Amino acid sequence: MLRDNIHKALAPLNLEQVESGDYAKTGYHLEITAAPEQIPEVAKTMLSLGCFLESLTGLHYPEHFTLVYHFNNFGELCRTAVHVKVPLDQEAPTISHIYPGANWYEREAYDLYGVRFTDHPDLRRILLPFEADFHPLLKKFEASSADA
Amino acid sequence: MLERGIEEKTYVLNLGPQHPSTHGVLRVELEMEGEFITKADPDIGYGHRGHEHMAENRTYPQFLPNMGRVDYLHALAYNQGYCMAVEKLIGLEVPERGEFVRVITAELNRITSHLLWVGAYLLDLGAFTPFLYCFDDRENALDLLDYLTGSRLTYCFYRFGGVPVDIDDDFTEGCRKFIQRLRSRWVDYDNLVTKNVIFIHRTRDVGLITQEQCIRYGLTGPMVRGSGLPFDIRRSEPYSVYPRFDFEIPIGERGDVMDRYLVRLREMEQSLRIIEQALDKIPNGPIMAEKVPKRIKPAAGEVYMAVESARGEFGCYIVSEGNPKPYRIKLRVPSFGNLSILPEIAVDTLVADLVAILGSIDVVVPEIDR
Repeated sequence: MLRDNIHKALAPLNLEQVESGDYAKTGYHLEITAAPEQIPEVAKTMLSLGCFLESLTGLHYPEHFTLVYHFNNFGELCRTAVHVKVPLDQEAPTISHIYPGANWYEREAYDLYGVRFTDHPDLRRILLPFEADFHPLLKKFEASSADA
Repeated sequence: MLERGIEEKTYVLNLGPQHPSTHGVLRVELEMEGEFITKADPDIGYGHRGHEHMAENRTYPQFLPNMGRVDYLHALAYNQGYCMAVEKLIGLEVPERGEFVRVITAELNRITSHLLWVGAYLLDLGAFTPFLYCFDDRENALDLLDYLTGSRLTYCFYRFGGVPVDIDDDFTEGCRKFIQRLRSRWVDYDNLVTKNVIFIHRTRDVGLITQEQCIRYGLTGPMVRGSGLPFDIRRSEPYSVYPRFDFEIPIGERGDVMDRYLVRLREMEQSLRIIEQALDKIPNGPIMAEKVPKRIKPAAGEVYMAVESARGEFGCYIVSEGNPKPYRIKLRVPSFGNLSILPEIAVDTLVADLVAILGSIDVVVPEIDR
C-alpha cells in the first residue's frame, strides 16, 4: 500500500510527526509535521513515489506561518498533508526545482503572505499587481475603504 | 537570414490581456525568434477579487454565493465542494434524494461547461459554425438549470444539508428530452469537427504532455486524462452517490491537444449516462437534512474536500478555529496548476499552435485569479 511505502520512505528523515490521518474527518490519509529545512527532502521522497503536489496553502498565526503541502497520487488515493511551521522572520526553502508546479504556488504564498522562499528562481508577485506594497492575507490586513 | 544585413534579434509579443483566445483577462508575454516562441510568461491576476480574503470575513453561509463566481462555467462543482467540506466539518448528512439532485444538476452543468469549451475552442482555431451548434445545445441545458435554480450562470443552489428545491416531472421530462437530443448530435459533432482535416492538422501531435510532466506540475482533469492517466476524483476518491453509477473515464493515448478534445467530448456522453441513471434510480424522500444548525460554528480542525470540476480537481481546504467565520479557506483550483505548465510546453512552438495549446488547457481565468 502506498501509505505504508510513504511511511517507510520517510522514516530515515526523522520528521517531527508522521501519523495516519482520519480520512473520514479530514480527508487525509497521512499527516506529517516537518521542519522547514526538511521539506525539500520530503518533496524528493514524494516525487520518487510518484506523488504530485496538489496544493500549497499558507496560514498566518501570531507567532509563525504554517505552510501546508498537500500531496496526492494519480494511481492510488493517498492524500498526504505536510505541515511546516516557518517563523515570521525566516525564509522557507523552495521545492520548485523538484516540483516545477510548486513555482506558482510559492509565488502565490509570497504574494499573499510575504513568506520568502530561498533560491526560488522567480519570486515575483503573481495575483496582485507587481507594485503592490501589502500582503492581503496577513491577519492584520484590513481592506478598508481608504485602501480600496 | 542575415544576407541583407538585417540583424536577427528576439522580440516581445504581448498576447492578451484582451485577446479573444485567452478566454478572459489573461496576458501572456511571448519572446519570439521569428515565428517561434522562445519564452512564454503568463501574467495572471487581472481578475483577482480576493475570494480567500472574503472567506475570512464572512460566516460560512455568507460565503456560499462566492462559490458561484470562482469558476463561472462549472459553478455547481464549486457549490458542491464547498458544501461538502462544511458538511464534513460539522458532521452533517445529506439525504439521498438531495445527493441525487446534486449529481444531476452538477453533471448538467459539466455538460454546459464542456459544450462552451468545444464551441469557443473551435472559434479560436478559426471555425465559426460549431460555436453556434454548441450554444444551441447548451441553451437547452441552461433552460433546465434555470428552471430549477433560478439562474443561468452563477449558481448558488446547494445548501448545507441538501438542496432547497426538488426536481419535478417537468424537469425530469425535460432532462430526458435533452439527453435524447444531445445524443443525436454526436454524429454532427464528429462529422463537423472530429473528422475535419484542418482540425486534425491543427491539433494532432501539438502540445504534447507526458505523464511525468503531469506529476511534476500537478495537473488534473482532462489534462491528465488526455495523457492516458485515468484520474478522475469521481472514481478515484468517490464522493456523493457517484459509486452507484456506471460510467467510464475516457482517456487519450498521446497526450496531445486532439486527445484532450476527445476526452472532453466523450466525457459529455458519460455525464449523460450518469444523469440518465440518476433519473431512473432517484429515491423518494427529503431533499434537506432535518437538523441543520441555524448557527454554523464548527469545532477547531481542518478538512480537505476534493471534487471533480469540468477542468480538474477542485479542492476546498478549510481551517476552522471554532469560530462562526473560517480561519482560512484555500481554494485549490484546477486551472492554476494546469496553466503553470504553459511556459514549458509553449517553447519552440508557433504562435498559432500556442493558441491551440492554450485553448486546450481550458482555462477559466477568474478561477485562477480568485
